[in-house]
Amino acid sequence: MRVTLKTRARAKPRIPIEAETIIPQNFLQKNDVRVYEGNKERKLEDIFFITIEGPAVSPDQVEIVLTGDTGVIKRVGEYMNAGRIIVEGDIGMHCGNFMSAGEIIIRGNADSWLGREMRGGLIRCEGNAAHYCGAGYRGEKRGMRGGTLEVLGNAGDFTAEYLCSGEVHIHGNCGDLPGVEMRGGVLTIGGDCTRPCGNMTGGTCRIFGAAHQFLPTFRRNGTEDVEYNGKRCRMAAFRGDVANRGKGTVLVRED
Amino acid sequence: MKIEDVVCTFCGCLCDDLVVEVENNRVCSVENGCTLANEKFMRDHRLKNPIRRDGNGWKAVSYDEAIRETAEILLDADRPLLYGWSGTHGEAQSVGVHLAELIGGVIDNTSTVCHGPSIMAIQEVGHPGCTLGQVKNRADVIVYWGANPIDAHPRHMSRYTTYADGFFIENAFRDRKVIVADVRQTESSAIADEFLKIDRGGDYAALSALRAIVRGKGDLIPSRVAGVTREQLFRVAEICMKAKFGAIFFGLGLTMSPGKYKNIRNAIELTQELNRHTKFTISPMRGHWNVYGSNEVFTWITGYPYAIDFARGIAFYNPGETTSVDILMRGECDACLVVASDPGAHFPRACAEHLARIPTVQIDPHVNATTHLATLQIPVAVTGIDAEGTAYRMDGVPIRARKLFTGSYPNDQEILEKIFARVKEAKRS
Ligand code: SF4
Repeated sequence: MRVTLKTRARAKPRIPIEAETIIPQNFLQKNDVRVYEGNKERKLEDIFFITIEGPAVSPDQVEIVLTGDTGVIKRVGEYMNAGRIIVEGDIGMHCGNFMSAGEIIIRGNADSWLGREMRGGLIRCEGNAAHYCGAGYRGEKRGMRGGTLEVLGNAGDFTAEYLCSGEVHIHGNCGDLPGVEMRGGVLTIGGDCTRPCGNMTGGTCRIFGAAHQFLPTFRRNGTEDVEYNGKRCRMAAFRGDVANRGKGTVLVRED
Repeated sequence: MKIEDVVCTFCGCLCDDLVVEVENNRVCSVENGCTLANEKFMRDHRLKNPIRRDGNGWKAVSYDEAIRETAEILLDADRPLLYGWSGTHGEAQSVGVHLAELIGGVIDNTSTVCHGPSIMAIQEVGHPGCTLGQVKNRADVIVYWGANPIDAHPRHMSRYTTYADGFFIENAFRDRKVIVADVRQTESSAIADEFLKIDRGGDYAALSALRAIVRGKGDLIPSRVAGVTREQLFRVAEICMKAKFGAIFFGLGLTMSPGKYKNIRNAIELTQELNRHTKFTISPMRGHWNVYGSNEVFTWITGYPYAIDFARGIAFYNPGETTSVDILMRGECDACLVVASDPGAHFPRACAEHLARIPTVQIDPHVNATTHLATLQIPVAVTGIDAEGTAYRMDGVPIRARKLFTGSYPNDQEILEKIFARVKEAKRS
């Protein structure tokens, strides 16, 4: 089944829409799907032109395509456990929150908290991701716990904060403090970043660009050779953050 | 008439030892207050009546009209924002939270541009704090990090730290060591025993280095960290570890510099580390006189201290998403009620522009920068002068602000209750 949701013009287009109901399993049973526009509850058809093609007997056979002015739509794919969502343009905050399986493809940019505390599945953002990509909720001690989150462009500050498990791969640059409070998992940064992995207690962060303002509390631990994009790279290895327990690994490209 | 033990409702110190002389419903002298207090009490030029924007000018309107119009604006909105709250008493703040819930709005206080990051850090790792009385009576080491109390909290040093003798500290000036960490020299750094001059944005690294030293991992600290020499970092760590009782106070220099809440978290974790060696506490230097109160009131009603979104009927909190600056920058809200604060003066330009585009109502005694962006302004009594109410000092101690005389203005709480009643009635019908 292919569900196409094309946004309608709205009187107040900057008011965010909260749409955690846009997940494949909800379109299987012809549920009365509703979303919120600011403080008003709306029917899905008030916000989107809806086209449904083909049948499906399980959520993994459902593909949702979002088109139009989708940059202010929040929580798409929250708690998703099967199927596929394709966003033709940008997507709002919290896309793929807590998702456990399935696939989200974003052709444009993603706003903050992309894949917040995701447990499994795949998110691929072809543009840039804003702050807190693959991070946790405020005060939560565990961020992303599984799955794969890939951003082909750049990501903002606090990427993969509290990363516990799974893999976050930013092909471009990251902002400030990527991998801060990291406890496990793998964070790969293809470009540059600032102050990586402050207070990390576990996991591995690989940086193939420059690590600016590298924190003084990481202990040099030899070198390692790593394969990246088909090339062999010589990496400086560090253990840290010794301001905390210091059991994480940071690899920074040397050559 | 001279009134003693008056509470100064200006900064978070909430000094409660002022002597104020009042004649004919005007304050004519202030004793014991700092310059800021004198200005607050003596230069109190109020807006005389509610005003509504009328073309390029203003038109006087009655309180009833202003209240009716405010209720209508809030009822019409799909994403109303209720911002401010730090310059009014707890009872009014409480009505504000109920109003936000009723209209499905976002309510936020000035923590969003001051110590919001401190609260976020406290939510992550807790708060080893204490009252200012404890500091005054016990602390032999004081650290001011990213704070300049001589300018911002002028009586903090004389009432609680450097110049205040305490029960266990007989000669404070001689017996207390003062450490100041800042990116520039200030009047406060000039009287410090140790001044850590940190490169801009280098606080996080300096705090991490101190943590590593206190943990006994100082061997890997390079010769300089964020502009501070290794020797000085070791010296400061030693002063702190040898203290009988240490107190860190931090200001916006730490909360609003790169890393924000992670800086505070690092400072809290340094405090926790120091507590393996001695007794150490950490406290924010809160700015507005009742900003701490707004966090208390919001938390006891909603579970969250600021940036609370009631759009879905339940309280949702996510700084960065539900904070006023972010909401205004993204142009999300379609109406705004500003109470007891001045976002026009403190927010980025894009936020001010959005406030000017949407219906903005301000409840405030004075004409300020926000007046120029507002559609409607309702003047009210000033808590601590002609209104009374509960406030929380920067260390969380509640203090009752007194009313010095009965004036002609209604207070914030009365205005908000009337707006609430109108909105409720309209919703019911
Ligand atoms: S330090 Fe603050 S509370 Fe005390 S008198 Fe001055 S302005 Fe008022």
